[in-house]
Amino acid sequence: MNIVIDGKSCTCEPGEFLLEVARRNGIYIPTLCNHEGLLGQGCCRVCIVEVVERGWSKTVVSCIYPVLNECEVHTNNEKIKQQRGIILRLLQKRAPQSEIIAALCKAYSAPALDKLNEKDGKCIICGLCVRACSTLGAGAIATVNRGITKEIAPPFNEPPADCIGCGSCARVCPTKAIEYHENETTRTVWEKTFTLVHCASCGAQMGTQEELNFAAEKAGTEPSTLCDACRKKQLALVMADVYSAT
Amino acid sequence: MTEEILSLITKYPKELRYALAAMQDMQRQFKHVPREGIELLAQHIGCKTAQLYSMATFYKALSLDAKGKHIIKLCDGTACHIRGANQLIDGIERLLGIAPGETSQDGLFSLELVNCLGSCAIAPVMVVDETYYSKVTLEKLPEIIDAYREVTP
Ligand code: SF4
Ligand code: FES
Repeated sequence: MNIVIDGKSCTCEPGEFLLEVARRNGIYIPTLCNHEGLLGQGCCRVCIVEVVERGWSKTVVSCIYPVLNECEVHTNNEKIKQQRGIILRLLQKRAPQSEIIAALCKAYSAPALDKLNEKDGKCIICGLCVRACSTLGAGAIATVNRGITKEIAPPFNEPPADCIGCGSCARVCPTKAIEYHENETTRTVWEKTFTLVHCASCGAQMGTQEELNFAAEKAGTEPSTLCDACRKKQLALVMADVYSAT
Repeated sequence: MTEEILSLITKYPKELRYALAAMQDMQRQFKHVPREGIELLAQHIGCKTAQLYSMATFYKALSLDAKGKHIIKLCDGTACHIRGANQLIDGIERLLGIAPGETSQDGLFSLELVNCLGSCAIAPVMVVDETYYSKVTLEKLPEIIDAYREVTP
């Protein structure tokens, strides 16, 4: 089927998310909580657009809006710019230290909203990190409390016992709210420091020992001491041996 | 305590949907959900501590810190507020030395503020454990509270 986004005709499958259709056609819509590996979060509302369907107009959240009917979409008209500006400023009140939100506020000339109290930090409580952590299987962090005191934290507010130091939470975070440090030999996240393991053959960094153990346990094997590339090489050598022997 | 916790939680099937019920049982028995309880329950169900911690901090009916033997719920909804709930908060603070959300040193009383008990006609309302007290005044407060001190063995 066909829809029109900002005057451009775009082909799409029924049920496809509007944001994806736009992206595929090179149309930019700002997003925060949208992550390709963890679709459907839909909570920051920065990606709103206007959809006009048979003369009816509505504002929708493009990252979770499935296109079902032919329609005309406006991703950046005055109305949307204004609404997005307010949303961005509200997010900034929640996460004043976030650089990306500050930049977006500027780009969309977000209104001042001086009367509102400011919170602290960079987190917008989108929950992507929690989902990344539980999808991976470690499940070390969660949303804690509720309402205005809701936050992302490990149980009992101490370095999480279940954390394997994979760093997925920090990587998916749109506002870089999770502190994460890494050097040659160690990685620190959630105030827990892990030793990094290097490939026994080529010396490439392979992640933390806890990460390797976790993956091995899932796969029902022993944790590897070689990186992927070296393991393949070794396997090829073994194969070659087998062939030349026969 | 480990034994007591275990006997509470092993009554339930090893499924996440029974977690809340098990934690409510702990709250009832220990006046809070102990950390050990969350950890043992996670082991029992085979889920993550983080999941249960999230649940335990979400519901107001569950608390991680030990609550007092008697729970005083003071209504600070619109009607009670207008009829002087504020003074009662101060009054309780003077009597027991606790602010809303706190528990007295002797472990006898916890004070909680609630938003409306649906009894605006008898405002200001105070509930101790399961008993409702209507049109509470600063003068009546000591009497009501002392009654609970006495029933405590
Ligand atoms: S830390 Fe980042 S990913 Fe996690 S909820 Fe906050 S903003 Fe979202
Ligand atoms: S990107 Fe769509 S709601 Fe956050």
